[in-house]
Amino acid sequence: MKNQIKNSFWAVIAIATISMFNSCEDLEQYEPLGENSIADATPPSANFTYSQGAGAGDIWKTYTFANGSTSATTYSWDFGDGNSSTEVDAINTYPGEGTWTVTLTASDALGVVSTFSETITVIEPEEPDVPDPVLVNADFNKLPKSSGSDCACAAWINKSIGDQGESSSGNGGSDNVIKFDNNEPDHAYQEFVVTPNADYTVTIVTSFKDPLGGSFPSMLELRILAGAGYDSGYTPTYYTDTVDFPQDDYGYSSIAQVEDPANNLLVEVQSNPVDDSYISYTYTFNSGANDSVALFIRGIGGPATGGGGGDFGYNSGDEEIRADYVTITAIND
Amino acid sequence: MKNIINKLKIIMVLGFMLTALTSCEDYLSPAPTSVLNGVTFFENDEDLEAALVNMYDGIQGVNSTSTNDNHALQYEFYLTEMRSDNTRTKSNEGEAAQFEFYTIEATNGIVTDYYISFYNVIFRANTVLANIDVASDENRAKIEGEAKFVRAYAYFNLVRLYGDIPLITSVIGAGDTGAQYTRVATSEVYDLIESDLLTAAGSLDNSSKSRGSKAAAQALLAKVYLTQGVNYLEAQILCEDVMGSGFTLEPNFKDVFFNELNDEIIFSIGYVGDSDDSQNFSAEWLNAVGRTSGVNYTTADVRLVLDELGGNRTPYSYRVDIEQPTQFQVVKYIPDGDESLGISATSTDPTKAGNDWIVLRYADVLLMHVEAIMAGGNDTSSSAALNSFELIRLRAGLTGDDDGTITKQELLDERRVELAFENHRFFDLVRFGEAQNVLSTFSTATGGSFTATDLLLPIPQREINLSNGVLGQNPGY
Repeated sequence: MKNQIKNSFWAVIAIATISMFNSCEDLEQYEPLGENSIADATPPSANFTYSQGAGAGDIWKTYTFANGSTSATTYSWDFGDGNSSTEVDAINTYPGEGTWTVTLTASDALGVVSTFSETITVIEPEEPDVPDPVLVNADFNKLPKSSGSDCACAAWINKSIGDQGESSSGNGGSDNVIKFDNNEPDHAYQEFVVTPNADYTVTIVTSFKDPLGGSFPSMLELRILAGAGYDSGYTPTYYTDTVDFPQDDYGYSSIAQVEDPANNLLVEVQSNPVDDSYISYTYTFNSGANDSVALFIRGIGGPATGGGGGDFGYNSGDEEIRADYVTITAIND
Repeated sequence: MKNIINKLKIIMVLGFMLTALTSCEDYLSPAPTSVLNGVTFFENDEDLEAALVNMYDGIQGVNSTSTNDNHALQYEFYLTEMRSDNTRTKSNEGEAAQFEFYTIEATNGIVTDYYISFYNVIFRANTVLANIDVASDENRAKIEGEAKFVRAYAYFNLVRLYGDIPLITSVIGAGDTGAQYTRVATSEVYDLIESDLLTAAGSLDNSSKSRGSKAAAQALLAKVYLTQGVNYLEAQILCEDVMGSGFTLEPNFKDVFFNELNDEIIFSIGYVGDSDDSQNFSAEWLNAVGRTSGVNYTTADVRLVLDELGGNRTPYSYRVDIEQPTQFQVVKYIPDGDESLGISATSTDPTKAGNDWIVLRYADVLLMHVEAIMAGGNDTSSSAALNSFELIRLRAGLTGDDDGTITKQELLDERRVELAFENHRFFDLVRFGEAQNVLSTFSTATGGSFTATDLLLPIPQREINLSNGVLGQNPGY
C-alpha cells in the first residue's frame, strides 16, 4: 500500500513536470530570437590529437584520436574515409596508405557548435636499413691533400697521433695502396658517421712482405675508436673531398687516448701471414652509444722510439705492409 | 639522521619567520637583529645546508591526516599508481576512488595537496638559489647543483601530471600574481628541467643516496629525454654513465625494499619510523591499519601480469589481505612486517612507518637503457640492450629475452612487473604512447569512465579561484 501511494506520488510529479515542460516549449516557440537570451559564455572549442598505432602487423593503419575539446558535451567524428563515430575519444582503422581529413564537431547543450579538422597522411612505417658509413678515399688512391703532394694517405692524416703513410702501387694497380714501413709511425685515421648500437663489418685488404727475421717483425693494427672518447668539446666535421681534410686537430689527439681500452670498440692485429699476396681480413664491431667513430690503422712491431719518423711511442716493423682498400658496411638482417 | 633533525629545528624557525615576513615586511623595518628572519638568516654554507635539507623535508611531506598539511610524496601513489591499471581503493568509495574511475574533480583535495606541496618544494629550492651568494667558493657549485636537482625533480613530476603549469624560478611573494597564475607550455618547463639537471650532473658527486647526486641527476635527465622522445643517444650515454658508477642489483629482490640505502638505490626519500620524519602511506595501503579502509590495493589486471611474468618478484609484490581474503595488498613498503615473507616492521606504530620511498633505482636505469637503445622504435636486438634486459630477468629468477629481440610491449611489461607499485606505471604508459589504449580498455572493464583528457590532472580549483579565473583549466574538467 505504502509503495502504491509512493508510486502515484511520483506519477503526479512526473505528469506535472512533463506538462510544465510542454508549456515552456510552446512559449519558447513564440520568443523572438535574440530577445532576452543570454550569449553562450562558454562556447565549445573542438580540438584533438592523434597517434598512429605502433607494433607488429597492420597496427599502423589504426589511429587513436584523443579528444581535447573544451565546454562541449556531444561529439561527432568524421574520419574522412567514410567512417564516423560519436564517442568522446575515437579509434579508426584506415584501409591503407593515403591522406584523409579528420573533422571533429563538438557541440554543447545550447546547440553551439565548433569544428576542428586535421589532415592526416597514413604511411606504413618502414624500419629503415642502417646506412653504410661513408669513408673518403677508402681505396687509398693517390689524391690531392689540403697541403703537400698527392698521397694515398689523402683524407687519412692525423698528425697528433702519427706520421702519414706513403703511396705505392700494388695488387694490379698503380698509385693505389698505402704503406706502413721503414720503422716509421705510419698511420691512417678518419672519422665517420655511424648509427648508434648498429653492427658493422670492416674489410681490409693488405699484403705483408716476407719476414726478414729481425727483431722487429711487422704487424698491422686496426682500431675503431668511439666518438665518446673524442676530446671534450670536439665536434666532428665530415668532409667529402680529400683536399678539404685538415691534417691535425681531430677528436683523438694522443696515443694514450687511442690506447685507452674504454675508447676502443674494436682492436685487431694482423701478423705476417708469410704470404705476400693481398689478403682480405674481415672484422665486426658494434657502434654502441656513438653516432661518430674513427678508424685508426697503424703499423706496429717496430722499436718504441728511435724509428724513422716522429716520436709517438710506436713504429712500424721491419717488413713493409701495404693496404689496398678498406670498406665498412652496415649489417642489416 | 639526527643531524638532519637538528637542522629541521632551525628550518622550522626559519619557516615561521618567512611566513611572518611575507605579511609583516613593512612593520619590521628596520630588520630586527636579535632574532632569525628570512632576510638576515643566510650568512654561510651551514645556513644553506639547512635550507638544502629543508627541500627534502618538503618532498617527504607531513605525516598527518589533516587536510591542511602538505603530504607531498606521501600522496603521490593516488595520482600515479591508482590512476593506472595497477591499483585501486579497496572500497571503491570516496575522493580517493575518483582516480580509479577517472572521475577526478578539480576540487579533489589530493590533487590540490600534491600541487601545493611540490610548488612548496620548488619554493624551498628557489630559496637556496636566491641566497647562493653567501656560499663559499668551494661549495657554491655543489649547493646550486643540489637545489637545481630538487627543483627539476619537482617540476618533472608537476609537468607530467598537470601539463602546462606556472613556472616559478625565483622566490616570489603573494603579490606576484603574474608568474603564479601564468601557465607556460610544457616545452618551456622541460627547458628549465634539462638545464637544471645538466647543472646538477656537472657539480654533484655520488656521496649520498638520500639527497641529490650526480647519478640521480643523470638518471632523471635520461628519463626526461625519454619522456620527451628526444636525445635517445644522450639518454643512452647517461644511463651508461650511471651503469659505470658502482650501483648493482640487489641479488634478492626483497632487499631492494627492506634493506634501506642498498647498492641498488640511486635516490630515495628517507623516512624514520616512530618520529616526525615518518610516513603513513604504508599504513594507508593496508586494511584498517591507517585512516582509510585500504587504498592502493592491487587490481586483478596487475596480478595476472605479475603471476605470468614476475618470477620471484611476485611474492614480494602482492599478498592476500588476511582480513579479507578476496583482496590483495602491496608487499613493497609494508610497515608492520610479514613473518611468512621474512619482513620486519619498520616502526612500532605502523602509521608512523620508516620505509624509505625509492625514487630512482638501478633496475629502472637498466630498463631505461633498453628504452634509449630502442630509440622510439618497436623493438631492438642490440646486444647492449639484451644484456641490460637480461640482468633484470636473471635477478627475478628468469632467463633473458627468449628470441633475441626485445619488443616495446615486452619492455613495457617488464617495467610493469619490476617496478610495480613504485609510481612508475602511469608515466610509463604515457611515455610509451600506450596510455589511451591500455587505460580505456582497463576502464571499460572496471566500470570507469576514462577519456583521453584524463591523462592530465585538473589544475586545482582552489588555484583557479585564487587567480580570479586567470589560470585556465585542462580540457575535460
